[in-house]
Amino acid sequence: MPDFARAQLRRQRINFGLFLGPALALLFLFFVAPIVIDLVLAFTDMGRTLQVSKLTLENFERMFTRDSRLLGALGVTFIFVLTTLTVFNVTFALLLALVTTAVPRQLGAFFRAVWLLPRMSPSVVYALLWLWVVDPNERGLLNQIVVHVFGMPPIDLRNNHPLLVIILANGFIGASLGMLIFTSAIRSIPEHLFHAARVDGAGSLAIVRHITLPAMRWPISYMTIHQTLSLLVSFEYILLITGGGPFYDTTVFSLYAYRRAFESGEYAYGAALSLVLVAIGVVAALAMWRLMDMQKLLQPPRIEVH
Amino acid sequence: MNWKHALSGIVGVVLFCAAATSALAEDVVIKVWSRADRSGPLRAGNIVAAGDTLNKMLAAAGADKRVKIELNETNAKGYDDDALDLLKAFAVDKGPDIFVLAHEWTGAFAEAGYALNLEDHIGKNPELYGDIIVPLWQAVSYKGARYGVPQDSEVRMFFLNNDKLRKLGMTDKDIAALPGKVDAGEFTAYDLCDLAGQAVQKGVVKYGILHRPNAGPDFQMMMEGFGLEPYDKAAAKLQVSKAALKDFFTWVKYCTDKKAFSATNTAMSWDAIEQASFAGEEALVFFHGVWRVTDQSKAWSLKGKDDYQRKVTWLNAPAGKKGGKPSNLSHPIAYAVSAKSKNKDLAAYLVALASQPVPNMRHAVSTNHTPINYGEQSMPEVVDKGWALVAATPMLKYASFMPNHPKIGQYNGIIFKGIQGVETGRLSAQAATDFVIDELGNELGKDVIIRN
Repeated sequence: MPDFARAQLRRQRINFGLFLGPALALLFLFFVAPIVIDLVLAFTDMGRTLQVSKLTLENFERMFTRDSRLLGALGVTFIFVLTTLTVFNVTFALLLALVTTAVPRQLGAFFRAVWLLPRMSPSVVYALLWLWVVDPNERGLLNQIVVHVFGMPPIDLRNNHPLLVIILANGFIGASLGMLIFTSAIRSIPEHLFHAARVDGAGSLAIVRHITLPAMRWPISYMTIHQTLSLLVSFEYILLITGGGPFYDTTVFSLYAYRRAFESGEYAYGAALSLVLVAIGVVAALAMWRLMDMQKLLQPPRIEVH
Repeated sequence: MNWKHALSGIVGVVLFCAAATSALAEDVVIKVWSRADRSGPLRAGNIVAAGDTLNKMLAAAGADKRVKIELNETNAKGYDDDALDLLKAFAVDKGPDIFVLAHEWTGAFAEAGYALNLEDHIGKNPELYGDIIVPLWQAVSYKGARYGVPQDSEVRMFFLNNDKLRKLGMTDKDIAALPGKVDAGEFTAYDLCDLAGQAVQKGVVKYGILHRPNAGPDFQMMMEGFGLEPYDKAAAKLQVSKAALKDFFTWVKYCTDKKAFSATNTAMSWDAIEQASFAGEEALVFFHGVWRVTDQSKAWSLKGKDDYQRKVTWLNAPAGKKGGKPSNLSHPIAYAVSAKSKNKDLAAYLVALASQPVPNMRHAVSTNHTPINYGEQSMPEVVDKGWALVAATPMLKYASFMPNHPKIGQYNGIIFKGIQGVETGRLSAQAATDFVIDELGNELGKDVIIRN
């Protein structure tokens, strides 16, 4: 091999390490390593003292034959993910993007910033605000309106409709990410299409239907998959607002794994549950990938202009 | 050798000696783990004070070593959560030298090899431990050996707000007769819920009975009234009786339906419960322990025993059925020494110093916990300020301890979830029974005997 070729190869290797190295290290540290640890733990009997005395299949035997809470947790997860996703993270996000791009630019930017505020505040603060909103006493924000404006007795959403509370809390914060992605997608539609449509006599709704929405297929598909996976594993707001309760009413699968591990100290069982969650996530992602034909998005363009 | 060499030699020797002395005078660090608890700041504080006492002795003896106490006050919600955190800390070798724990966790820490067997230390130091009230040792014993030193003791009770009882139409005579009726088995747990439910339905109070919002020892004394014994001494295993459990949950359901229990109780914070029970006067009954007299006296500006008793009535946990026995629970908190500590002996002596009558009396009097030493009971401060402790002591006649089984924490946690399920309207009495039996079998396996 000539010298310059060898030098080039070396430079390529250095560049590889330099540019991809940090990302790969992070990926390994926060993604691969935890899964490997989880995989090993799931087959042990690690309990409250963190000691492992044997390798066993007991966790899986218990999960599939004896755990009577599991189906409930799966059901809650299904309702939570599906509702939050369809109503808020996609539909409401799309609505926000459409509205904030339809109004004058600065006004749109202002409203988007307002919607982003909860994302910028710490989770605990956001959760505390929700706790205050749904407080069952007259002190709660919602009850101040219910009691003083409508003259009705105070309501207790957290106990009577806990799923609604966690869907609203997650939805209002979750919609902002979709809003940003969809806004940039709308902005990237060539302006002349809108002008042409106007000239042809199209109204606002017709423009949305025939120009904006068709251009949004890929962002919507991407957000659907991304948010499904994210909703499947995130439980911080649920933990902070309802703690998974009352009883197990808002205990989604990921929180169920957490409660088993950290409330009861059954770490191995929690790990086994998490492993199943990983499997559910992978299956859901692959199915949606297939269903939405995401392959097409990643294909190289057929026509390339040089 | 000229004078310069000699001088530099002397300076060198002096510097070496100084360095060696400072190395010798190094502090011996003793790490203390204690849950930050407003109802007992001196649990950790007395260990710190013991360190000071010891340092004075060391200074007087001309010794170079000093003890330095490093205090880690954790913010766990309760002693069960704290114990789980502590087990994790030990597992990764970050355990303390001395730790404060709820006595029923002694078994778990002894079994895991983290709590030091103190038999030898206690046996060698009768002067330091000889005055500790003998039955209290039972609370820190596991498999016949003592793994901890009791730090305090207490009496649990239902606190009834007399002003609210009067509003319900009860006379002072009726109110004064209540504790006797409970002890005689005439006033049952069902009667208590009828009374509390009535108070809510008539709008006298917002909450009938408020209890702790998380898992903890209180519920055991309530369950005992329905014949639920959590421990089989002969088999040294936890146990549960399906029939007794069903009776207990039937009562919980009854109280919930009567509005004596509130669906929001287990979702409330301790702060909210305290506010509603004390200053807010929104509850007819508050269920906790004698140390709450401190908070109540402060909230209602009560001066002394007579003032207090005009405002509050204490009840043992009433029996489930007429003619049954009332129950109570004493739940000592304890000190334990780490079996992994490099300074076990020193740590044990610090515990001994902190457990002496005077420091322990300060904790007892300032937080209304019953003392651990016989001698404390006659101290002027206890007689003067500890009237509540003296008044509550007769209730101990009906008291039992929690079993010192390594898995009692999990057992309690499961029962609590069952109670929460019934109170929030998620479970019927039967469903709660099935839930508890199912969970106990799954989580505790062979450690629990399930009886019909």
